[in-house]
Amino acid sequence: MRIDRRLLYSFDWMLFGLLMAILLIGLLNLHSAGASAAGDPPYLKQIRWIALGLVLMFAVICVDYRLIIRWAYLIHGIAIFLLVIVYLYGTVTHGSQRWINLAGFSFQPSELVKLTLVLSLARYFNDHKQPEAFTLRGLFIPILMVLIPFGMIVRQPDLGSALLLLILFGSIALFVGVRWRSLFLVASTGLLLAPFVWNFLHDYQRERVLTFFDPGRDPLGSGYHIIQSIIAVGSGMFFGKGYMRGTQSQLKFLPEQQTDFVFSVFAEEWGFLGVLILLILYLAFILWGLKIAQQARDYLGTLVAYGLTMLVFWGFFINIGMVIGILPVVGIPLPFLSYGGSSMVGLLTGMGLLMNVSMRRYLLHHD
Amino acid sequence: MPEIDDRLNPYDPGEYRNRFRFLFWVVLVAVSLIVVRLWYLQVVQGQELRVRSENNRVRLREIKALRGIILDSRGVVLVDNRPSFDVIIYPEDAKNVRNVIETLEGLYRKHGLELSEDYTPLLETKRPLMTYRLDRNISREKLALVETHALELPGVAIDVMPVREYFFGESMAHVIGYTGEVSRADLEREGGGGNLKSGDVVGKYGIERYLDPKIRGKNGGEQIEVNVVGKKIRMLGRVEPTVGYRVVLTLDSVLQRAAWDALEEKAGSVIAVNPRDGSILAMVSKPSFDPNLFNRGISPEHWERLTRSPLHPMENKAISGQYPPGSTYKLIVAAAGLEEGVITPDTAFNCPGTFEMGTRTFRCWKKGGHGRVSLHRALVESCDVYFYNVGRLLGVDTIAEYARQFGLGTKTGVTLLGEKSGLIPTSDWKLARFGVPWQPGETISISIGQGFNTVTPLQLLNAYCAAANRGVIYTPRIIQRVETEEGQIVQEFPPEPMRTVDVSRENFEHIVQALWGVCNEPGGTGHALRRKEADVCGKTGTAQVIGLPEGTDARQVVFPYEYRDHALFVCFAPKDNPEIAVVVVVEHGGHGATAAAPVARKVIDAYFANRKPS
Repeated sequence: MRIDRRLLYSFDWMLFGLLMAILLIGLLNLHSAGASAAGDPPYLKQIRWIALGLVLMFAVICVDYRLIIRWAYLIHGIAIFLLVIVYLYGTVTHGSQRWINLAGFSFQPSELVKLTLVLSLARYFNDHKQPEAFTLRGLFIPILMVLIPFGMIVRQPDLGSALLLLILFGSIALFVGVRWRSLFLVASTGLLLAPFVWNFLHDYQRERVLTFFDPGRDPLGSGYHIIQSIIAVGSGMFFGKGYMRGTQSQLKFLPEQQTDFVFSVFAEEWGFLGVLILLILYLAFILWGLKIAQQARDYLGTLVAYGLTMLVFWGFFINIGMVIGILPVVGIPLPFLSYGGSSMVGLLTGMGLLMNVSMRRYLLHHD
Repeated sequence: MPEIDDRLNPYDPGEYRNRFRFLFWVVLVAVSLIVVRLWYLQVVQGQELRVRSENNRVRLREIKALRGIILDSRGVVLVDNRPSFDVIIYPEDAKNVRNVIETLEGLYRKHGLELSEDYTPLLETKRPLMTYRLDRNISREKLALVETHALELPGVAIDVMPVREYFFGESMAHVIGYTGEVSRADLEREGGGGNLKSGDVVGKYGIERYLDPKIRGKNGGEQIEVNVVGKKIRMLGRVEPTVGYRVVLTLDSVLQRAAWDALEEKAGSVIAVNPRDGSILAMVSKPSFDPNLFNRGISPEHWERLTRSPLHPMENKAISGQYPPGSTYKLIVAAAGLEEGVITPDTAFNCPGTFEMGTRTFRCWKKGGHGRVSLHRALVESCDVYFYNVGRLLGVDTIAEYARQFGLGTKTGVTLLGEKSGLIPTSDWKLARFGVPWQPGETISISIGQGFNTVTPLQLLNAYCAAANRGVIYTPRIIQRVETEEGQIVQEFPPEPMRTVDVSRENFEHIVQALWGVCNEPGGTGHALRRKEADVCGKTGTAQVIGLPEGTDARQVVFPYEYRDHALFVCFAPKDNPEIAVVVVVEHGGHGATAAAPVARKVIDAYFANRKPS
């Protein structure tokens, strides 16, 4: 493998620094969130996943993203195949079938599919670049790319991940340009299908949607999560309760506190001040990602960087939005902070690609 | 390295500038939304949510205070406390209440046990927040079962409730009373400022009720930090409960037991007092009930049986039973006659066995009559005709005046609830009550304690205490003092003279001499009280429940139980320096001399046998 020495000079220290800062906060927070849990402390496991993710990230950096994107469809196909495996052989936890066991490792293909979808869409829209807006006919293939995994993930069921796929698709489609008429058609079809989707949903999922509109609906059932989360976040007040001293989390009132509700732990212990710093880091990271997209060497780079940034942005917005009660509880992990190997490895690999785009933006001009 | 197609076709990202500008604002707005919401939660609502987070983890658990113990005058413990265990559930901690209860039931079933309480109301509650009692007063087996399976039973806890242990059970039930869970009415009576909460235990009857605010004590509590399944992590603070004040009664458990045994299985009551200060030494009412049954809520079947019984076991007959005084009333008529001067001790009337009044004929209990008798023999032999004559001379209103002086017709003021006042009729009373003037014949009945007259046993005893004291009556007292656990006096109930009966000492001596004769002279109706010490003075009484048609001989009729006469006996001893006075009422017992006097004898004997050296 040939590594261009110029890459070293254009290494994106800003992106890397922001990423490291967020990861560090995430580990500290996980140390606290998992302090009251039995068994191996989750932050230690998370360190191993981060290490693996960073190795993959640097591996991805070394190869030009244009070469990697050539494999996008294949990887996406593999990811979908893994979803099929999950459907057939996956392990069931908490009533949903999301995991497959590979050589002793539990693995969530739905996390991988988010990344491969972005890459496949980037490739497709780069290959089919057109000056005019896309019609439905032009979007047929990309829609297939998203609907197949979407359907499989809804079946698991994992409403959050499935919705995130749709949102990612929407973000990218809107970016490349879709005819207003087509957009309207898709939106209205979606609305018409909504009642059928509602029937298709599991009871607990319906309950969650209803609970979003009225958390007091069932304070001991599905509303419990969001109420406890809001209490945790709010009770942090301006300066927080102090590291490892969040009563909501340490006494386990907070549900899923190492995964979906990890932000609540942080907000409870660090208060508004701490949260503001974390939000600034995320904001800087996302805006920097958009800058990379804008300054990419080529259209493909723009699409890849944009898609990956949106992956972080939507994960960030939906997760925090749900734990602070402005969005329904759909179960999406907070990028870089939530505990979870598949998500972390997938994300860091993706960030490798983002950095890849960033580092190769000038290469052309020096040729 | 593969060919890259667009190498010669430089990419101009500038054409997407507007899209990126738009994206920039989308991200900024999204983050702002989060910041605003966080500001609202953490700063605006922060304090409130902080408090909620505290409440989330802090549970207040009440520690019930022990009620004060109750002692008799000898220092014998009459009532103490013992722990009773309940299984309770905190729905908030249990999360899935139904599952938890089913788990518990499953555990029980394996051991052939079941829950005592119906939990369907809990399951039907939409958002149960209050703790719920699943099983009351559980056995040690259940206690062990629940404790060992604590981890499988989130939200389930053992609640320790102190309950009363009444060592003397039925024999003191009417005096001491019983406790039970506070009722809505109790709560309302205490008002908003009261210390009572629903679920608290209060005194419901007897001393337990009368002194409840003092005996109750003050509940303590502990603040404990719990985790999400409600299990205790650590204690944050504890306020010890304050034991209620203890009560020392005037009752003498030895005499009480003797009185209880003496009455055997008869319905009625026995009271023994010290006439010199009004202290009640024994007070028995039969049939009785077991106050221990009420501790944790009496079962409906038990309650039904107690309240439906024609013998009224729940009633303290000593203070709420109202009976015609019968011949015991002759004390009043004699005192009135002497004091009003209508008779002297030497005035004699002839008793031919009957007494004519207008068209009516009144009979003496002794068919052949007593012949010519003066006051002394008239009392000793309980001659009715003699008192018909005195009564006629006095008139109903004068008799009533004296009866009132002796404390009849009004409550004695004993510190027990449910006391009745009895009835001493006057001519005005009858006119007001029935709109019919008093008939002279009615006075004749009144003279021997029949007719409208009714008294409670305690009133009657009090009247005889006046004779024993030659005039002074004390308010009967049953509580000596209320004191702290360390013996510091909180409240004393000293003897309280109620009044002095306006009868001369000389006249009292005549009467007392006659009452002594009742028990000690040949022909006396109270011969059952003839002790070798020759110290008892008393009077028998037989109270008619129904009047008999003229010409019927009562001795030849077999009456159904509820129409039989009440048997009364009231006495005091010793004659000149009285220490004890006893009244016995045996409901439908027949003759005072045969049914009531022997009971009194046993009590008097027990008193002197167990007398504390003073």
